[in-house]
Amino acid sequence: MKKTGTILQAVFVLALAVVLTVAANAQEVTIALGSEPTTLDPQLREDGGERAVNDNIYETLMARTPDGQLIPGLAAAPPKLVDPQSWEIKLRPGIKFHDETPLNAEAVVFSVKRIIDPQFNSEQISFFNTIKDARKVDDLTVQIITDGPDPILPSRLYWMKMVPPAYAQAPRFAEAPVGTGPYKFVQWNRGESILLEVNNDYWGEKPAIKTVKYRFVEEPGTRLAGLMAGEFDVITNLLPEFTQQVPQAIHIQGLEHPIIILNADGGPTQDVRVRQALNYAVDKEALAEGLFEKYAQIAQGQLLSPSFFGFNKEVGPYPYDPEKAKTLLQEAGAAGATVELIGTSGRWLKDRELVEAVAGYWEAVGIKPKVRIFEFNEYLNRLFDRKTRADAIFVVSSNELLDADKSFSAYYRAGGIGSSNSDADLAALIDKARSETDVDRRAALYHKAVKHAHEQAYFTWLLNIEDIYGVSARLEWPARVDAKILVQEMRLKK
Amino acid sequence: MGRYILKRFWYGVVVIFGVTIIVFIVTRLVGDPVQVMLPLEATLEQRAAFEKQLGLDRPIAVQFVDFLGDIARLDFGDSLWQHRPAMEIVVEKLPLTLELAFIGIGLAFLLSIPLGIIAALRPGGLSDRGTVFVSLIGLSVPQFWLGLLLIVVFAVQLRWLPTSGIATPAHIILPAITLALPALARMVMIVRSSMIDELNQQYVKTGYAKGLPFFRVVGLHAMRNAALPVVTLGGWELIRAIAGYSVVVETVFAWPGLGLTAIQAIEREDLILLQAIVFTVAITVVLINILMDVIYTIIDPRLRLT
Repeated sequence: MKKTGTILQAVFVLALAVVLTVAANAQEVTIALGSEPTTLDPQLREDGGERAVNDNIYETLMARTPDGQLIPGLAAAPPKLVDPQSWEIKLRPGIKFHDETPLNAEAVVFSVKRIIDPQFNSEQISFFNTIKDARKVDDLTVQIITDGPDPILPSRLYWMKMVPPAYAQAPRFAEAPVGTGPYKFVQWNRGESILLEVNNDYWGEKPAIKTVKYRFVEEPGTRLAGLMAGEFDVITNLLPEFTQQVPQAIHIQGLEHPIIILNADGGPTQDVRVRQALNYAVDKEALAEGLFEKYAQIAQGQLLSPSFFGFNKEVGPYPYDPEKAKTLLQEAGAAGATVELIGTSGRWLKDRELVEAVAGYWEAVGIKPKVRIFEFNEYLNRLFDRKTRADAIFVVSSNELLDADKSFSAYYRAGGIGSSNSDADLAALIDKARSETDVDRRAALYHKAVKHAHEQAYFTWLLNIEDIYGVSARLEWPARVDAKILVQEMRLKK
Repeated sequence: MGRYILKRFWYGVVVIFGVTIIVFIVTRLVGDPVQVMLPLEATLEQRAAFEKQLGLDRPIAVQFVDFLGDIARLDFGDSLWQHRPAMEIVVEKLPLTLELAFIGIGLAFLLSIPLGIIAALRPGGLSDRGTVFVSLIGLSVPQFWLGLLLIVVFAVQLRWLPTSGIATPAHIILPAITLALPALARMVMIVRSSMIDELNQQYVKTGYAKGLPFFRVVGLHAMRNAALPVVTLGGWELIRAIAGYSVVVETVFAWPGLGLTAIQAIEREDLILLQAIVFTVAITVVLINILMDVIYTIIDPRLRLT
């Protein structure tokens, strides 16, 4: 009996200790991420956990405002084109890495060359594969050379983190990062947490939060419980259903666009009237409300959000008009036609539910949808199958550079990895835009491509899903459209 | 005795070998890590280059011969997802899973004996029916739900314990209980039924008749005879905790052991890491089985002859 008493006492004391540590960290913000970084080298992997941490330690030459506008970061001004293949960048003077290495032309040249080096084999190379070289002009001036005219370079630079040349070659670099950013690395307890502290010598505005702790919790229910228990201040990917329970739910335009790719080269969807009908048939507003509790915007008839480069504000969604859809199907002689709709389950938020809801709308206007939900690998086999295209394939496109090029090359352009059309005109527009360095002319090309694809109804455009964060009552944070979690933009309420 | 264990050991080697080969075949039939690991918009050229880099473009027979060499050297290569040696990850995670499993199942084992005996002393009585009822609940509750329920009650409502993680010793309490409860329910039932059998034996009556105290009769003589099925089940529970339930419990409590790592490796189609995990778990299971065999012979010396 005495023994049980001692054990109970021990348990109680331990529990108390935990409660006290939670309460004591008034200046510490704890952020729960879905996965632990596999490395803290900022140039090596495509890894959401790594990015979330390193976005606070490292900086890039170009940055974005919370609403997505491209602004100079470590650069003093936007890059200037000196000839069609060379961009010149002036650096802000006096910036230092956390180890006192100056951020100068050498550091930038080293960072660029490191990430494009085939030996280095960076997973981020698809963001930078147009960059050929970098050279120093003077101590604070760099030129970046592309292998053809590359208008997206300023956006690309927003993705490339600058590393200190000497230390980046040390083996410790991947475990103990050193950047120029507002937070310094302190400690990484593998499997458990990463700790950062404020960089008092930061060149920009001083952050309000003194220390940051990252925790790694895979299970969404546990992340939610941790927020409710006061252990976490920010949790990512909060489900729309739980927005009422949490102290604060912050939602903001996200990067993910679910769409349905329609096959313009064969089957019943070969007829443009059928493809238009499949757009008129769907009540996008009801999808946003019924499946996402309104935490989704209706896609504006294009695979772009209003803040993305290339967005055409003259093009809007196909209105919900089932009568018109029926008429169009009659005219096309496609009433009662079978349309195969491919989807997957559990990969993206409400993927299966969206596919089934759309199939319901299609059925209501006289199409026989044949829904086929595949395991992700099998689903990818169909999405990437270039020989036989399914009539309709559901996919969620994500666009980190906030520029039309990536998603258009993949889905709009004939021969793209997930495209289902052989429209040479559209492909020509996209190709031309890729090398047009005049900003206005480039925008005009995308506007044309957006309008053309909209008229041809190559897709059933659905929604733009919002990012939802669960946030503790004491924290103030506006969140960002590029899904970065920047602690320097957070504040504790008084 | 030595020969007996040697024989068991050889069976174990066959089992481990068989399991790893099945994993090799199944992972290569079902998954394609190249598709899953690259971003959706990656081009065909990027995919081909990546496949080559992983060595998955080689004929399956060549990969298999390589794989056999890996087993022999206990080096499965680098994890496709974490880019460091798969065995290094396994060695880092295994102790956490073992700690959780031994504490959880140990707890269940220690509690099941007194509870089972109390229930067996008066079959059909109040304490017996109560124990059976609670055991049934313990058996029927999904572990996933149980874990979340404990979190909601003890971490969110009462705030006595943390929700997840491994930072302090207090962090193991809820996951260990979640792991222990269903095992406890099963073990109590076994202790109860074997004790009921033993307590009806003649030697128990003889023991009482010659004036032995209750604790000697029940605790020493009857318990020793009832122990065999209890130890068997305990070993079985330990194995199931390490090779199965840890996946659920570790995921719910963000306990970074082998079970959570296995789930993450499956999600990311990390064939290499998965092979290393299955291989290690298979060895652990075989070792526990051998250990159980040794314990049997200690409990029941008659088994030494076989």
